[in-house]
Amino acid sequence: MIRSHRASRAGLAILVALGLLAAACGGGDDGETAPDAGGGQATVGGEAEATPEPEPATETAPAEEEEEAPGDLTAPTDTVPPETEEVTVEEEPQFGGTLRVAVEAESDGLNPTANNFAVSAYVATYPVIEPVAYWDVNGNWIPHLAESFTKIGDGSSWQLKLREGILFHDGTELDADDLVATFQAQLASPIVGLAVRPAYSVDGVLKEDAITKIDDYTVQYSPIRPYGAFPRMVTSQLGQVVPSEWLARRAEDPSIDQMPVGTGPYMIESRIQDEVTVLVKNPNYWAADLVDVYLDRIEIYPITDSVVGAERLIAGDIDVMITSSSEAILTLREADGARTIENLRSSEDFAMLNTQAPPFDDIRARQAITFATNRDAYLSLIRQGTSPPADTMFHPDLIWHNPDVVQETSQPDRAGPLVDAYCGDFPDNCTDGKINMELQYSGPSVIQTRIADLLIDSWEDYFNVTEQELLQDDHIVQVAIGQYNVVTWRQFGEPDPDFDTVWLECASVGFISINWPRDCDPERDALMYEQRAITDLDRRVEIWHQIQQNMRDSYTYIFFNYTNWTVGARDNIRGICGQRSPDGAELFCNNQGRIWLQGIWLSQE
Amino acid sequence: MKPANQPLGAGGVKPANQPSGASGVKRRSSRGGADGLDEVKPRRLGLGFWLAASWVVAIVAASLLAPVLPLTDPTDVGVGGPRLPPSRDWFFGTDSLGRDVFSRTVYGARISLAVGGFAIGFGMVFGGGLGILAGFFRGRLDHVIGFVFFVLLSFPALVLAILITATLDRTLLVVSLTLGILAIAPVGRLARATTLVYAEREFVAAARVLGARRGRIIVRELLPNVLIPMGALTLLGMAVTVVAEGALAFLGLSVAGDDAISWGKMIVDGAQLRDLQQAPHVAMFPITAMFLTVLALNLVGDRIREYYDVRELAF
Amino acid sequence: MIGFVARRAVTLVLVLLAVTFLAFAALNVLGDPLVNVVGALAEKDCTEVYAGVAEDQSTSLNPSGDCEIVAQARAEYHLDRPLAPRYFLWLSDLIRGDFGTSFQNNQPVGEVLREKFPKSLLLMAMAQAVALGVSIPWGVASAYRANRSFDRASTIGSFGLLSVPVFAMGVVLLYLFTLRWNIFPSAFDDAGLLPRLWSLVLPAVTLGLPLAAAYQRLLRTDLITTLQEDFVHMARAKGLTPVRIMFRHALRPSMFSMVTVFGLNTGTLIGGSLVVEQIFGIPGIGREIVTAVIRDDFPVVLAAVVVIAVGFVVVNFLVDLLYSWLDPRVRAA
Repeated sequence: MIRSHRASRAGLAILVALGLLAAACGGGDDGETAPDAGGGQATVGGEAEATPEPEPATETAPAEEEEEAPGDLTAPTDTVPPETEEVTVEEEPQFGGTLRVAVEAESDGLNPTANNFAVSAYVATYPVIEPVAYWDVNGNWIPHLAESFTKIGDGSSWQLKLREGILFHDGTELDADDLVATFQAQLASPIVGLAVRPAYSVDGVLKEDAITKIDDYTVQYSPIRPYGAFPRMVTSQLGQVVPSEWLARRAEDPSIDQMPVGTGPYMIESRIQDEVTVLVKNPNYWAADLVDVYLDRIEIYPITDSVVGAERLIAGDIDVMITSSSEAILTLREADGARTIENLRSSEDFAMLNTQAPPFDDIRARQAITFATNRDAYLSLIRQGTSPPADTMFHPDLIWHNPDVVQETSQPDRAGPLVDAYCGDFPDNCTDGKINMELQYSGPSVIQTRIADLLIDSWEDYFNVTEQELLQDDHIVQVAIGQYNVVTWRQFGEPDPDFDTVWLECASVGFISINWPRDCDPERDALMYEQRAITDLDRRVEIWHQIQQNMRDSYTYIFFNYTNWTVGARDNIRGICGQRSPDGAELFCNNQGRIWLQGIWLSQE
Repeated sequence: MKPANQPLGAGGVKPANQPSGASGVKRRSSRGGADGLDEVKPRRLGLGFWLAASWVVAIVAASLLAPVLPLTDPTDVGVGGPRLPPSRDWFFGTDSLGRDVFSRTVYGARISLAVGGFAIGFGMVFGGGLGILAGFFRGRLDHVIGFVFFVLLSFPALVLAILITATLDRTLLVVSLTLGILAIAPVGRLARATTLVYAEREFVAAARVLGARRGRIIVRELLPNVLIPMGALTLLGMAVTVVAEGALAFLGLSVAGDDAISWGKMIVDGAQLRDLQQAPHVAMFPITAMFLTVLALNLVGDRIREYYDVRELAF
Repeated sequence: MIGFVARRAVTLVLVLLAVTFLAFAALNVLGDPLVNVVGALAEKDCTEVYAGVAEDQSTSLNPSGDCEIVAQARAEYHLDRPLAPRYFLWLSDLIRGDFGTSFQNNQPVGEVLREKFPKSLLLMAMAQAVALGVSIPWGVASAYRANRSFDRASTIGSFGLLSVPVFAMGVVLLYLFTLRWNIFPSAFDDAGLLPRLWSLVLPAVTLGLPLAAAYQRLLRTDLITTLQEDFVHMARAKGLTPVRIMFRHALRPSMFSMVTVFGLNTGTLIGGSLVVEQIFGIPGIGREIVTAVIRDDFPVVLAAVVVIAVGFVVVNFLVDLLYSWLDPRVRAA
């Protein structure tokens, strides 16, 4: 059972694929999944990063506007860089040096067409494998490897024209064939394919003309539904292009997933799993005249215990780190010689309830547990003031946020009557006047155990809680097939909420559900499809306000807090934010912990 | 062939004898006045023994009586502020969730001792039983049982333990059983060695000559004699299993559940880097409790062992 | 002698087979490999589909046919066959040097082991060095004036040391030397040989101190016996200094049991390193095993267990031979 052939990998992939969607969304975690501190203990590490990427391709806003419109979009979504941003000091950038970066997890591989990318993979690969498009500082898409995007007709087809003369690290030239090969590799991948296939296939059959080569530098994508802003689809790992020759070799030897090739300003020099990935400057970078590339060398260390990472940063062993661990954030905030760039406007941490299994198939039980939840204790003892309370899936700074929706937690006296009523109707699900239920979480993880202890303490007056701690993979599987009552999770927070509808749709309920609570509401579906079909921002905002109300009324999610994605940096590190695209646009900074390393430089001060 | 493989850490005391060699064959040093203290052959148990015994009794009593003692509910979150230092109100301070560390330490003894006691008891019953059978019947049975023991000892024990506990529901029973299985081989070897010694003695031979059934000989003649030295070992073995539970807890694989408090779980919680920095007491109190208990068990066991001159039982 | 070696060699092979089978069976029985391979689909009931009575209701995520994927995986990993044949398939691969491929990242397991083992071996070597460095002078000093106050104090001391759990020792040392006094780094530092050794000092001391206590007891006991021997009395009569007698004459013949245990303590060290590598963040084999167990990465766990067990059994075998060569009575037994 140990040998690995291609077929087997396909199977394995299904699990990982779930992982991709789930773990992406947190596997319930906390960047802090990396459980162990110096106090140590097992590392569930990696998979727990919260990265709802790649975006579910199926759904995206439909047609509008003119062609070739970088920066169209629902602009103001989020994405104003946080206030904590560094003050620009007038200082001449320095060339040279080595940057040491700590990430919270290790990725299985760095092949954008085969591996699920979480924060750590993005941080390691953006400097190596450039995407065809990216986000600017205001949340609008901008071309990167692409010279332009052209909308054909109502948006049913989009043409991507590449810049000419770009060389990969292996010396081959980037052309339309590479785009086609990359796209086909994505489709063929059981993992990444999950995010691509639905947008191009009807009833499981791929569209013949899903991708067409127009000329040497132009391809045409034809998804099944029109897109108003297709380029957003290729800002993530789905837009990262690798050479067709490399993909051919990869088919023979999947282990080269560890050492992919791209067009970027850095090349992977070496990589030891769970230890270090080393990038060195690419002497032939195509955009060397357009953007400055300062560092000679970048070393990326997965340090699963974020507090250890923070300590090492303070001690000077590490220059930059990315974390969502409250303990690490506090350590960094208190330190001399280091600063933090914090972003609260992406995902949320919450508990969710399985609406298809007793007791939470009954709304009274869902309401009772929501009221009983001591969110104040959670915020002060677990988050320790690093993350503000969340009431909905949107941060109050975002236009989507509905200020009228309030998370009704920490009101235990309201729970009692509901529990009594429920137990009157379903005595079999109750013991001693309390509702029987199970809390499932992934471990071993000290922080997850603390969260569980805290939640159980707040619920135990009204519920008999059984704890079920599972290994991360098992946990995701059990949640996906609906074998749970309550889990803690992390999710949402895409730049455009339309990408997050996949977690809420009825279509996502099945044997395997990524609508994890299995909460199907046709009314909500109608709202979501309505906002997808229009471009009127005000109306979309209005609809999302209704959706938030609807989610609240179903009592499916108990929102705790906004995830605090923090970049910690030593004081001499410059240029984390404010980097420029080859066309001169300012890049989005710290998108759910994803930062670009190539524009960073080391100050001599 | 080799002494008990003790992969679970330093908990067990290894009396200074029998470094290796086939069981039964002793090196010169292990017989006679090897241990300096033995030359005097003190037939007193000494002050240390009584102090240690009192500690064991006190801990056992506290863990049994915990529910009726005037203690805060050890699972109550936020009874005090988080990470308060020891004070008049909170003797041992509070942990990161504002729970009472003193109350948790007292309650923690329950799981630690229950797991330790059950595991070594399990090892005694099954390992001891197999060892006595092997030692009494010798021959092929001895070979088979000896082989099983050897295989069990060759398997990296803590790895086996985490394999089991990581996959199964970590109830008190599962964790205890896991450690109990690990105790079988070392205990069994000792039981076998002791049986070998007694099986040669006159009273057993006499019973044989008189035609007693073998089952009767084992139960009536052998068992009582083997049990006494094994009893001393129970305490030494319990020290090992208490530590083993701690090691499992350290890897996050001890008994699950918010009310299943153990010293090991408390230590790993308090040993998170930031907790250790800001509130070292959260880890240090359970560490001290565990250390004193292991020390006391070792001391009492060792003294009893010496007292009965149980020399060949290297655990 | 040859017959003895042959008998032992047969036992060795049998033990190796049993240990590997135990590991293989434990992993297969405790976990369901199918879950590792196909994830949630393993939970799907496909019997009706295979029997042809039902349509395969594929999930929205898997338009290609769930039950087909499950069937392929079962065939691929021989999960449709009983445990014993599967074990022998795996074993024959192993004997050919094929440890399989990690579920986690497709890397050959052999490579993973090659990366992780050296760090653990270095740690263990340093731990043994600490243990020897501490125990020899300590043992000599307490045997020199046995039952005097220093000896009595060190008996208590070694007894106490043996009662400190490895993880407790690690936490206390980490607190004192890293957090309080900031002498040693809080994590493994791989930037060159010196930093590497420096960052392994605390973990090595954590593992080494309890060992030192055990060695000290053995050494002291043997030394006391040796000091009674005639040649020591003769040396004394000749007027040699006590120090010279100790280190030149008495020490070497007294180290036999200690050296034997020295080799065998590898087992203890491996168990300890599982925990210590967690505490001090050392990317060695102990940490790898724990991570692999938690990630359900069968091939890595299996390979690591087998390598450790085989190493342990073989070392034992060699020690046994050495021992019987030194002491013929063992052969007779």
